[in-house]
Amino acid sequence: MAEPTAPLGARSDARVDASARSAGDRAGPNASRSQPIGAWPALADGAVERVAPADLAARVGAAIDGGARYVMLVGLDERSMGGAGLAIEVALADSSGPIRLRVELPLDRPVYPSLARSVPAAHWDEREVRGLLGINPAGHPDSRRLVLHEHWPGGYHPLRKDVPPDERPPITAREFVPFEVHGDGIHQLPVGPIHAGIIEPGHFRFSSVGERILHLDAFLFFTHRGIEKLVEGRQFEAAMPVIERACGVCTVTHAMAFAQAVESLTATQIPDRAAWGRVVVAELERTYNHVSDLGNICAGIGFHSGTSRLAALKERLLRLNEELTGHRYLMGIIGLGGLRADLDPSGLERVTAELPMLDRELAAAVRAVIRSDGVRNRTHGTGIVSRTMAESLGATGVAAKACGFDRDLRRDEPYARYGELRVEPTVGAAGDVAARFDVRAREAHDSIRLVLEAIAALPGGGVRTELSIMPAAGLSTISGVEGPRGTSRLWLRAGPDGTVDRVHLRSASFANWPVVAAAVPGDLVPDFPLINKSFELCYACTDR
Amino acid sequence: MIADLVDRFLRPLRRGPLTRPYPAEALDLPATVRGLPELDAGRCDSSADCVRACPTQAIAVREGAWTLDVGRCIFCGDCARACPRDAIRLGNTVELAARNRMDLVVVVPLETRR
Repeated sequence: MAEPTAPLGARSDARVDASARSAGDRAGPNASRSQPIGAWPALADGAVERVAPADLAARVGAAIDGGARYVMLVGLDERSMGGAGLAIEVALADSSGPIRLRVELPLDRPVYPSLARSVPAAHWDEREVRGLLGINPAGHPDSRRLVLHEHWPGGYHPLRKDVPPDERPPITAREFVPFEVHGDGIHQLPVGPIHAGIIEPGHFRFSSVGERILHLDAFLFFTHRGIEKLVEGRQFEAAMPVIERACGVCTVTHAMAFAQAVESLTATQIPDRAAWGRVVVAELERTYNHVSDLGNICAGIGFHSGTSRLAALKERLLRLNEELTGHRYLMGIIGLGGLRADLDPSGLERVTAELPMLDRELAAAVRAVIRSDGVRNRTHGTGIVSRTMAESLGATGVAAKACGFDRDLRRDEPYARYGELRVEPTVGAAGDVAARFDVRAREAHDSIRLVLEAIAALPGGGVRTELSIMPAAGLSTISGVEGPRGTSRLWLRAGPDGTVDRVHLRSASFANWPVVAAAVPGDLVPDFPLINKSFELCYACTDR
Repeated sequence: MIADLVDRFLRPLRRGPLTRPYPAEALDLPATVRGLPELDAGRCDSSADCVRACPTQAIAVREGAWTLDVGRCIFCGDCARACPRDAIRLGNTVELAARNRMDLVVVVPLETRR
């Protein structure tokens, strides 16, 4: 499978290179076959399977019993597409191919029987759709708000198409109702939304007996910026920088998911060099995130020599990012149809020279951390996620791997050039903080190898191609990227003239937050920061 | 084990501190850094390709001047890539704080063509 390689960092014109459309011309025998785009086949609205509201739960249940896995539930306002009402779409991944089910709902009574009791992974999606679109999942076990907090007026659903994007609804001060457990000897401990240290906002309400946590209510969505609404009606190109910035440390993940979705709708094959380049930056993103988090876990324990060593390694990785792409957090490198700019040739040399060294230093730092008795004492048996819990809540990434699920989109639905690389399985078994630390360390090591292999395989040629065709309005797809926190999915439907009609980001963090809340009961309150850091989820990614 | 320990102590000593005495010493930024977009007014032909390429509408060309609103700029470099005359480059100026919002607007006068 060896790709013909060009000299390291072979410089090419970074501008749009229309001739790169037929990448086979210069890239040798392998490239003539079409490469995976990283998204499900684009479907016109009429081609998505219609299901009656009453039949949805049975249809989804049958698919899951047959081995399919829940992917997402997205709410839609069909009025922009000439429809009369609202709709939801439920997506599942099956070994026989993707399953997409659409349920159309009348505007005056948008109700369907809830899936959350039989598919707990859909619990948050249904609450989100209820708030943002006013689509009511009848029989949902939790009637509280999720994305829009209590100060939003009741009955106001911003993702409906008749709500102007710049409207500022009045603030209706209503008291927010946390979920608390009451009883003899049980007390409530409110933490946040403002925290010590530089982390994002989230309110955690612990109900505890002594030091032991009985229940945790994670109250998030303080950083909801309405990104999905903001990009509606924008050209794909203008939507890109916004989607990329949904989160500051998953920029490559979100940008790639959006680019792959657009490339699927426009039947665009990106140049070979860009596809390999995407592997390089995606793995660099995974590496610095994992190294950063290994350090944060040490901080959660109070093991400061580990924190400092790993923070220094992270800083050196960020500087390499900057030398390669001009941005420490890799913004503005992924483009629609390839890369926005070519990877810097001297940056590529620096990365190739320094990464093996950083890899050895990472291994030494990790060894030093896990040898410490104090670290072992705090991490083993702490924050356990059982296999059943991970499966039913739809855990992804490190959270799922640490309890034994060998799932990775890079292998299961290869995109970019992952199909030509070997992604090592990095699974654990115990499902505790120690297992997540271990999985993360091995994944970082594997990512460094993948960066180096992708750079070695980097062919010459252009890095960007024009989008091939203008997608028909109503064409939609679901893309996926295995980011540092697991599988991130993006649902995209084209509007007229190459605009976004509706985009929905279901980040890996969104999928994993309910798992965090389920992992802490039974543990001690002071272990929560440690457990939280072992998942290292983004708030901005979740809140959007 | 011994080699590991020796390495652990010697390597940082050889490399020196990773932190930098900024702002006492100037930043040593790599050439790739995408700082403030700078216009070479002599090369600009007012084609406004940069204006159309800018995803955040930070650039305007009017009344004999090229203006950049740094408060809107996201330093993506699309303007530099779109310019047919290579008149824009993203330099290494990254200290961009200002006391007034209007001080974030850079105005470069353009020679009017005869």
